[in-house]
Amino acid sequence: MSYGSQTILHDLNFEIKEGQFAVFIGPSGCGKTTTLKMINRLIQPDSGHIYLDGKDISSVDRYELRRHTGYVIQQIGLFPNMTVAQNICVVPKLLKYPKEKNEQTVRDMLAMVDMPYEKYAHKYPSELSGGQQQRIGILRALAASPPVVLMDEPFSALDPMTRRSLQLEVKSLQQRLNKTIVFVTHDMEEALDLADVIVFMDKGRIVQMAPPEEMLEHPATEQVREFLGKHLPAPSPADMTAADFMRTGIITVNQNRGIYECVSRMQHHNVDTLLVVDEQKRYQGTVSIADIRLTGHVVKTIGPLVRCTTPTVTVGDNAKDCFDLLISSGFPYLVVLNGDQTVAGIITKTSMASAMAEHLWG
Amino acid sequence: MNALQSLSAACSAILPRLLEHLGYTLASVSIGFLLGLVLGILLTRTPKLSRYILPVLSVLNTIPGIVFIGVLFLYLGRRSATVLIALSVYAMFPVLKNTFTGLNEVDAQYKEAARGCGMDHFQRLVLVELPLAMPTIIGGLRIATVYTVSWTVVASMIGLGGLGDFIYKGVSSNNNALILQGAIPAALLAFVLGTLVDILQRHVVPRGLRKGRDEE
Repeated sequence: MSYGSQTILHDLNFEIKEGQFAVFIGPSGCGKTTTLKMINRLIQPDSGHIYLDGKDISSVDRYELRRHTGYVIQQIGLFPNMTVAQNICVVPKLLKYPKEKNEQTVRDMLAMVDMPYEKYAHKYPSELSGGQQQRIGILRALAASPPVVLMDEPFSALDPMTRRSLQLEVKSLQQRLNKTIVFVTHDMEEALDLADVIVFMDKGRIVQMAPPEEMLEHPATEQVREFLGKHLPAPSPADMTAADFMRTGIITVNQNRGIYECVSRMQHHNVDTLLVVDEQKRYQGTVSIADIRLTGHVVKTIGPLVRCTTPTVTVGDNAKDCFDLLISSGFPYLVVLNGDQTVAGIITKTSMASAMAEHLWG
Repeated sequence: MNALQSLSAACSAILPRLLEHLGYTLASVSIGFLLGLVLGILLTRTPKLSRYILPVLSVLNTIPGIVFIGVLFLYLGRRSATVLIALSVYAMFPVLKNTFTGLNEVDAQYKEAARGCGMDHFQRLVLVELPLAMPTIIGGLRIATVYTVSWTVVASMIGLGGLGDFIYKGVSSNNNALILQGAIPAALLAFVLGTLVDILQRHVVPRGLRKGRDEE
C-alpha cells in the first residue's frame, strides 16, 4: 500500500480469528487506520489480498461488502438529517430488509444500550450527548448484524468517564454477540482492556502481534515497551539495581581546578562535598569543605585534598547489597559508577527511601 | 366615485400584467432551479473541471441582463422563449453556485460514514449530501426568485408584457403614477414570493438541521 512515492504499508501479513477483539495500536502515521480501511475497501491495497471468511474481498461488490461490515468512526458521523431510529436502520434499509423487522431491530438495539425506545428513537443526533451519539453510532454499525465490525478510534473524542463506560459496553456486546472486532486506537490502556490480541504497528509494519498478557511480559522492542509504559509489571524487588535507587545529576569538579572555584561551586549548589573527576570524567574521589578549610591555604588545586574512602558501587549492582553497604559502612552516601568509571549518581538514605516508596505505592 | 373607479380600472389593468409577470417568474425560476441543481451536482462530481467552469460562469453572471436579452433578441426575435431563456439562465446562477457550495461543505464525517455504511454514489447524494446541503440550496432559490421578479421587468423591454410595461411607458411619458403602478406590484410580488420560499425552506430542511426548533 502506498500513497504516491511513499509506501504506507509493507508486506502486512496477519490473521484475525473469528470472534476475536483485535486492537491495532502504534504511533500516528503507522498505518493502523489504513489497514482498517482496507478491510471494507475504503482504501484499495496496491497489491496483496484480504480474505474475509475465506473469501477474497476484492471479488465482492464493495457496497455489499461495506453493508455487511460494521463501521464506527471517531467523528461519529450520525446523519443529522435522520432520527436515531433512521440512523440505526440505514444499513438494514440499504439491504432492503422488511420494515417491521427494522422497527424491531431499533427496539432491540436501543434496549441493549439502555436507551428507552420511547424516549430516544425519534430524537435527532443533535439532541444527544456525545456518549449517546457514539452509542447510536455503534448500534448503526451492528444493526444489520455484520460478523465483523471495524472501529476507528471510536472513543478518543469522548470524555474519560463516558469512554470508560462505552468501552465496557462494547466489550460486553462483542462477547454477547460473538462479533469479530477490529479496533484502532492510540490509547494503550484501551488496547489492554479490550483486546484479545494487540497488533502493534510502526512505519507500516507489524512490530508485534500478541495477546495483552504476552505483550506485557515480553514486549518485542523498546518502542513497544515505551508504549506499554506504566502498564508494565513492576520489576520484582530482588531484581532491582543500584540504578533504580540512585540520585542523578550530581555535581562534580575536575581535580585540576583551583580551591577558590571549588568552594564557590559548593556554595552555589549548597553542598559540603564534591565528587572529583579527571580529564576523562573518571571518578577520583571526593573533596570536602572541612579539608579545604584545614589545608586549603597551602595548595593551589584540589588534587592533594582528594580522599577516596567513600565506598563505590556500579550501576548494575544489586540494590539490596548497596543498601547493606550503605548501612554497614556508616558513610552518608555511596558513589555509583558506570562501567567506564564515570559518575552515574549517588545513593543516599533519602534516595533509597523515596525509590522504595515509589515502588511500593507507585 | 372617480377615485374608486380609477382604482378599479387600474386594478383591472394591473392584474393581467401581474399574472404575466408571475408566469414568467415562476417558469424561469423553475427551469433555472432544475438546471442549477443538476449542473451544481455535476460540477461537484468533477472537481477538476469545476475549477475552470466556475470562474467562467461567474464572469457570465456579471454580464448585465439587458445586454444578454438584447443579444438573444437579435437571434431569437420577439418571442416568449427569448425572455424565458434569458431569465432561466440568470435564475440558474445563484442556485448552481449554492448547490455547488452546499454540497462541498457537507462535513467529511458524514460522507465517510455514508461510504462506510455501504451507500453507492446516488444513495450518498440523495440520502445524505442533498438533505444536508438543502438549506444552502434553498437559499440560492430565494435569491433567484427575488431577483427574477425584478429581471422580468426587463422582459417588457422587448414588448412581451409583465409589470415592466407600466414602468417603461411611465418613464417614456414621464408619468409617475404609471411607474408606481408597475413598481409597487413588482415589489409586493418579490416580497410575497420571497416569503413563500422561506416557508418552503422550513418544510424541506430536515428537522434535525433546523436551528432553534422546539423541544418535543
